[in-house]
Amino acid sequence: MRINRNKFGLVAALLFLTQIIWAQDYNNASQLVQRLRGLASSSNAATLKSITKTLGGKDVWMLTLGTGDMENKPAMAVVGGVEGQHLLGVEMAVRFAEDIVNNNMSALDNTTYYVFPNMSPDATEQYFASLKYGRSANAKDTDDDRDGRMNEDPFEDLNGDGMITMMRVEDATGDWITHPADDRVMIKANKSKGEKGMYHVFTEGADNDKDGAFNEDGEGGIYFNKSMTFAFDYFTPGSGEHPVSELENRALLDILYTKWNIYAIMTFGPGNNLSSAWRYNRGGATKRVVTSVLKDDETLNKLISGKYNKTVGTKDAPPSVEPGGSFNQWAYFHFGRISLSTPGWWAPMVKGDSTMKKNSDKNREVNYLRWAEQEGLSNYFADWTEMDHPDFPGMKVEVGGIAPFNMLNPPISMIDDLASKHNEFIMEVAKMQASVELINLRAESVGKGMTRVTVDLYNGGTLPTHSQMGSRSRWLRRLKVELKLGNGQEIVSGRKITLIPSIDGDAARSMTWLIKGKGSVTIEAGAPHIGFTSTNVNLK
Amino acid sequence: MKKYINKLALSICLLGFITPAFAQSADEIFRAVGSPHNPKVQISFNRYYTAEGHAALTKKIADAHPNLVKRVSIGKSYEGRDMWMLQITNFEKGEADRKPGFYIDGNIHSNEIQGAEISIYTAWYLTENYGDVDYITKMLDDRIFYIIPTINPDARNDYMKQPNTGSSPRSGMIPLDDDRDGLFDEDAPDDLDGNGSITQMRRKSSTGNFILDPKDPRKMIVVGVDDNVPANVQRYEMLGQEGIDNDGDGLVNEDRVGYYDPNRDWAWKWQPDYIQRGAYKYPFSVPENRNVADFVLAHPNIAGGQSYHNSGGMILRGPGAQEDLSTYNRADIRIYDAIGRKGEKIMPGYNYLVVYKDLYSVFGGELDWMYGSRGIYTFSNEIFTRFAYYKNNEGGQNLNYDIDTELLMGDAFEPWKPYNHPTYGEIEIGGFKKNFGRATPGFMLEEELHRNMAFTLYHAYHMPNLSIPEVKEKDLGGGLREITAYIQNDRLMPTHASQDLKYKIERPDFISISGVDVQAGMVVDNEDRDFTREQKTEPQKLRIDNIPGNSIVKVRWIVSGRGKYTITVDSAKGGIVSR
Repeated sequence: MRINRNKFGLVAALLFLTQIIWAQDYNNASQLVQRLRGLASSSNAATLKSITKTLGGKDVWMLTLGTGDMENKPAMAVVGGVEGQHLLGVEMAVRFAEDIVNNNMSALDNTTYYVFPNMSPDATEQYFASLKYGRSANAKDTDDDRDGRMNEDPFEDLNGDGMITMMRVEDATGDWITHPADDRVMIKANKSKGEKGMYHVFTEGADNDKDGAFNEDGEGGIYFNKSMTFAFDYFTPGSGEHPVSELENRALLDILYTKWNIYAIMTFGPGNNLSSAWRYNRGGATKRVVTSVLKDDETLNKLISGKYNKTVGTKDAPPSVEPGGSFNQWAYFHFGRISLSTPGWWAPMVKGDSTMKKNSDKNREVNYLRWAEQEGLSNYFADWTEMDHPDFPGMKVEVGGIAPFNMLNPPISMIDDLASKHNEFIMEVAKMQASVELINLRAESVGKGMTRVTVDLYNGGTLPTHSQMGSRSRWLRRLKVELKLGNGQEIVSGRKITLIPSIDGDAARSMTWLIKGKGSVTIEAGAPHIGFTSTNVNLK
Repeated sequence: MKKYINKLALSICLLGFITPAFAQSADEIFRAVGSPHNPKVQISFNRYYTAEGHAALTKKIADAHPNLVKRVSIGKSYEGRDMWMLQITNFEKGEADRKPGFYIDGNIHSNEIQGAEISIYTAWYLTENYGDVDYITKMLDDRIFYIIPTINPDARNDYMKQPNTGSSPRSGMIPLDDDRDGLFDEDAPDDLDGNGSITQMRRKSSTGNFILDPKDPRKMIVVGVDDNVPANVQRYEMLGQEGIDNDGDGLVNEDRVGYYDPNRDWAWKWQPDYIQRGAYKYPFSVPENRNVADFVLAHPNIAGGQSYHNSGGMILRGPGAQEDLSTYNRADIRIYDAIGRKGEKIMPGYNYLVVYKDLYSVFGGELDWMYGSRGIYTFSNEIFTRFAYYKNNEGGQNLNYDIDTELLMGDAFEPWKPYNHPTYGEIEIGGFKKNFGRATPGFMLEEELHRNMAFTLYHAYHMPNLSIPEVKEKDLGGGLREITAYIQNDRLMPTHASQDLKYKIERPDFISISGVDVQAGMVVDNEDRDFTREQKTEPQKLRIDNIPGNSIVKVRWIVSGRGKYTITVDSAKGGIVSR
């Protein structure tokens, strides 16, 4: 007994210790798996599975949170790490899962959650590497400039600070100037306003292959968030030779296409249709290749966006980043699901005082630097430092800039409140999900052993059973109503099976049958992404 | 139909075990011009073969010609069949996978079967004529062919062995929920009369809008709204394809094998099913296509391609989709036009057409991926046209019935027979069988195969063919020499299609010199006026964007030292040549 107690104490101490480590910074791959394993082993409602190993040898994890007949309950996929530089997305997805398992198991009564915390595990590892650079790519070998030479021009850490920032070179032929509010920040000269460029700006490194371009073909790889099918950006660095070329993209899609119960996908990534909804564009919505959110879905998106802003309370979001081949756009435009995405955090706008120069164009970098200073952060900026550069003999070259990762990922100590508000928001969405009931059931005798059965199929949720896009997709099942007959029963009028394309929130569809025979009949209605309901009726 | 299948199976067995019995001594044979007269491998080209039939034929060809053929499986089909490819070249000359490569497949649509036979005919013709016909010998010395007779072997067998129409299943065999009711492939057509084909159902009906042709009871005539049909003439209504309501949902044949279209699965401008009907989950989510794509991606030497379909007598090029019009530019269209028009001559009755405007506007086709994504000049032939029957384009309502009677001795039509249908009651079943209409009849098949092959060989002939016809030297004094080399491509296709150049799909061509010290290297834009462009780094290995068709590229080095030197051209699609 004593030994056991000691063991227990030891485990508890270890757990405490690891919690502290997690609490200090974002997780690397091995910390993440420990944490996910711990979570999965702590509850019967959580199952952890590796859906593939990346080329970089990293597992891609899927955490299923569900109880009962979970494949036939409406489900949401929660996806993090779609952008490798966005470690916050990974953390938010994990915290969501932890919150369900630790504090909110009843959320699983009506909904199943499939959590994919990190879709870019090769890339996120760069955050923990001895040389930090903002990396979105997996470990695939790519010839980024397509010149037949592999990785011939990578970054170099010229100032030896362990991270890749920028270089600026004073040169009248350059297009860049310093920002009027903060001369640490470089912006493009606006020639239409008579401004003249004074600098060239490059990423930190040398032109190893002497082709005039800097660092255009480093380690490379494919970006998860550029590799999906919607608006795929062919032949650009990070996109790959074709959409869904990579193991992690394929593994995720192969799973999602078998989960017929998924009605919504929540992405923690650079795309943002929650701070403000996607805008409907008639041209884009009516062409054969649809590129705009559909009209009804815009309304839906606005409704959910309103909930988001009310629940989370963040303001002044930067523009949504949705590159060609992005995941959150795929989830809506090609997978036909309700797709919600947010980066979760950005530096709040700092109200300038009279001592500050006015940040009149609300430059995000200027604002970030002011915010970081106000919060007392350290190591967020590498001061521009002059150095000799072999590619620019006799010219003034400085290395410096905002440290990689920082503008997307706040210090982890700041995210507790943010994470719990996002979890709350996801619960708000779940409360809105479509839910069908069979109500107003009536059976009336019409004589000669025939009964007329009428019933209303009512969607008590706020969301429709099928979004406008969802009703177009073959990958979302129709709402199926089936009359299950017993011995000697026969339908005289009405359909045994009816497939319904969609029922709006708080709307109903009336059904009627004329049935010959005696005994009881079962009416069953539903679809995996809506859930199922059934009722019995006695024939008169 | 079952009878035929048994016969077919028997033939294949015979082929496998007692082939020598068919071989004849040279003494008994006189060569018909253009055909191998006493081939090592005997194949009957007036019938079709199942997936297993083709697997056996590829093996025979490979076994008979070990120096010319490698037989490899590029992967497994959905149901686990090997996808057999024949790689055909003179393996004793040069590095096989560095020769300009030509890719051929057939049967992506499972009911469009001739492509497999054309593939086999081509493999057979190339190997049996090597050494006898100079054109073929040179072709296999300098080029490599990658031939996959069927890239949809599972559903090929389904078409042949299971009840189908001439147009089904077209799909592959992965079950899909066509009516979105949660069940997969639960209501396919049913072979109610047991003849192996899905034909038509008709029912006597006083309100029907068909009557029998009094001159030909096989034929139904449509009654027009203002036709005055006498009351005593029996009217019929057509009830669609043979089948019953298997799942009791009130619909007949609404969820058949598949359905997806393997030719909407390719990764150039791919679109999902709601935009492009037939697309599966994502590009190359159809396993057979993924095997092909992985192979093509790993073989940048492939410069030309052909994917055989049926029918209609078409030589098709992209773009498949109107939205993709800008992908095909003038320079490449000229090359397509030259080859396509030659095809119209080689294959009478065939027309050279563009998919999006002459057929339909579709995304995700194989030929679009080959060209748009890989820069490979690709055609799809839609094999067989009704022109072939009477060597004219006269159609008419009686055509198919005349063909059945006059040329096929009644083998094409299943006479109408009564049937008691669970939903429709007393009906009749009959119509044209699945092997009529799209698949070339046996007596014309060998000609069809040969003409399609001849067109494809012409296409393959025009892949880039590089040489170094001339090298000039000039003494510049001070121990320096100027060396100017001519690099020639004497065929239609450039080493980089214009699509390729636009996106740098393939690396540049490398023209290098070794054996001397290179001081400078440059491309000569105009030799007479001495216009040159210097390459500042690595001058010994010049990087040339393209070697256009029917042209000469000139390069120059300034070298020191008196040694002998070697000039090498290394092009992904043009191969390697040295001088």
